[in-house]
Amino acid sequence: MNRFNFPDLGIGIGLRTVHYAHILDTQPDVDWFEALSENYLDTGGRPRYVLETIAERYPIVLHGVSMSIGGTDPIDFDYLRKLKELARGVNARWISDHLCWTGVSGRNVHDLLPMPYNEESLRHTAARVRVISDFLETPLVVENPSSYVEFATSTMTEWDFLAALAAESDCGLLLDVNNIYVSSFNHGFDPKTYVDAIPADRVVQVHLAGHANHGTHIIDTHDNVVIDEVWQLYGRACARTGDVSTLMEWDANIPDFETVHAEARKAEAFRGSGESGVGGRRRKGSGESGVGGRRKSSSKSLRHPTPDTRPPQDAEAVHV
Amino acid sequence: MSDAYREVSRESGVVATTLISDPRPPTPDPLALAPLQEWMQSVVTHPGDVYEAAEAGAIGVDTVVLPSKTLQPIQRVGIYHSMYMLRMIEALEADYEALAYAMGEHAFGHLVREYVQRFPSRSYTLNRLGDHLPEFIAASDLKRKTFLADLARLELAMTHVFEEAEAAPMPPDAIASVPPDRIEALRFTPIPAIRLLTFACNADEVFQAWREERVVEPRRGKTWLAVHRRDYGVYRMPLSQEAFTFLGSLISGETIGSAITKFARRFRRMPRQQELFGWFRDWSEAGLFAAIAITEQER
Repeated sequence: MNRFNFPDLGIGIGLRTVHYAHILDTQPDVDWFEALSENYLDTGGRPRYVLETIAERYPIVLHGVSMSIGGTDPIDFDYLRKLKELARGVNARWISDHLCWTGVSGRNVHDLLPMPYNEESLRHTAARVRVISDFLETPLVVENPSSYVEFATSTMTEWDFLAALAAESDCGLLLDVNNIYVSSFNHGFDPKTYVDAIPADRVVQVHLAGHANHGTHIIDTHDNVVIDEVWQLYGRACARTGDVSTLMEWDANIPDFETVHAEARKAEAFRGSGESGVGGRRRKGSGESGVGGRRKSSSKSLRHPTPDTRPPQDAEAVHV
Repeated sequence: MSDAYREVSRESGVVATTLISDPRPPTPDPLALAPLQEWMQSVVTHPGDVYEAAEAGAIGVDTVVLPSKTLQPIQRVGIYHSMYMLRMIEALEADYEALAYAMGEHAFGHLVREYVQRFPSRSYTLNRLGDHLPEFIAASDLKRKTFLADLARLELAMTHVFEEAEAAPMPPDAIASVPPDRIEALRFTPIPAIRLLTFACNADEVFQAWREERVVEPRRGKTWLAVHRRDYGVYRMPLSQEAFTFLGSLISGETIGSAITKFARRFRRMPRQQELFGWFRDWSEAGLFAAIAITEQER
């Protein structure tokens, strides 16, 4: 168990538009879902309705791509206010975003842009994470990103930076073992060293995904199955953290729901207890509180880095 | 530790005390976090290729980024640079599928490159990226820009309607409960998820043909359309000019009596009873109104 007492939700799936109908119609035996926050802000249409409906049956975690934790623009409190409202509305178990920046001078590049890892950026980022956590009234959970450049001004490794950030800002960690593998290939470090150095008691969640290997570099595409090396890293992480909420991301060339679910469930082989769903769907109504501690009562309610933004096929316009 | 100290110490090892006592204002460190992010954004979003982007940058790529065993610094930055424009094209193509089809892949990509220079994303969501595309097209020198701007306005309206706040429509028979002598004093509250559009060409017909994988050539001639949402699905309702005018009056908050007066002035005739019955039947069934009310002023 992590130091925040965020529960092990079991093995979850990233909630994607193409699976809405399947989930609503069949109510699959999935432990939990992770929703991309930005897809459900500023919309009163079908996405929000679907999320709220699913949240009545499954635990939900909100995962963002636009918080710009490491950015040098002012913190966007309008965004945070809406995020907080959404989290309360769907009883989100926690809120996560990436160790990155997404734009400056009022612009958003909609990418998870890399940070230099040095004292200046550590102090800057830790201060922002503290402010964000205070505002959201819950410890922010920060994910390690994939990256394709290393800065000349970096003076520490990413894992040392992340550990120091977690200690200074008292945040949780979302350990993306695929991202560790991708960055280790791109930057030439041993991914096992990274996994071994992470403060295990701060790991709230793990991400799994596929990627595209171009020979000279790897791109974090989320468009494929998880490779064996990443599964081994996952097992290594689980050995340190114990059973931890685990999430399969599949954001491009998305297959049918059962294929994604089957890939996610491979994680069971690496989990110590062999059981999933602790605190998840099978224990729905166990009294655990989400972000803000409010349980919803109403009955109705990039690929990284690109969240799906489009109306689903089953809600397309019809000529009348 | 000041930025000035760090800049000098990195290059020359000069001790901090030397600089702290220096009366000159500190020189901003171009590799500090804020200028580094400004630099990287300028390179990543540059409309040219990554080499042109690097040339235009205030700092040399090799000064900022380390090489890997397989890639040079500029190649590594190039990954972000190429992904940026692909992401912009992908996002706008998702919102403007018919427009992208009508223009063709190359022309649409070129349009997006120019558009995001003029209207870069300033929102935390990509859903707002395309909000200015119709006006951008209308102000461009594109061939067929009138048709393309109309098609873009149609698709933008569909996106907005898809995202609008939900409101339950009033019961279809709600008007029937109003005493006949109070009908003209009725005001309607429209559902938020409705947009009325006037086109200079047959944009909706072309859009529908694209949906059905048929070809209909654009042609000039005014057309009128309501885009609305019902049960979380987006619908398009072609309207006559008369129906469009009358519905527009109601949606803008006028009473039925006022809408009739305006209609008579505009078309130099009163709306026929059969017309009105047909319109209200269709609009009520489509769930265009959330509520009706008779205001005190009208009593």
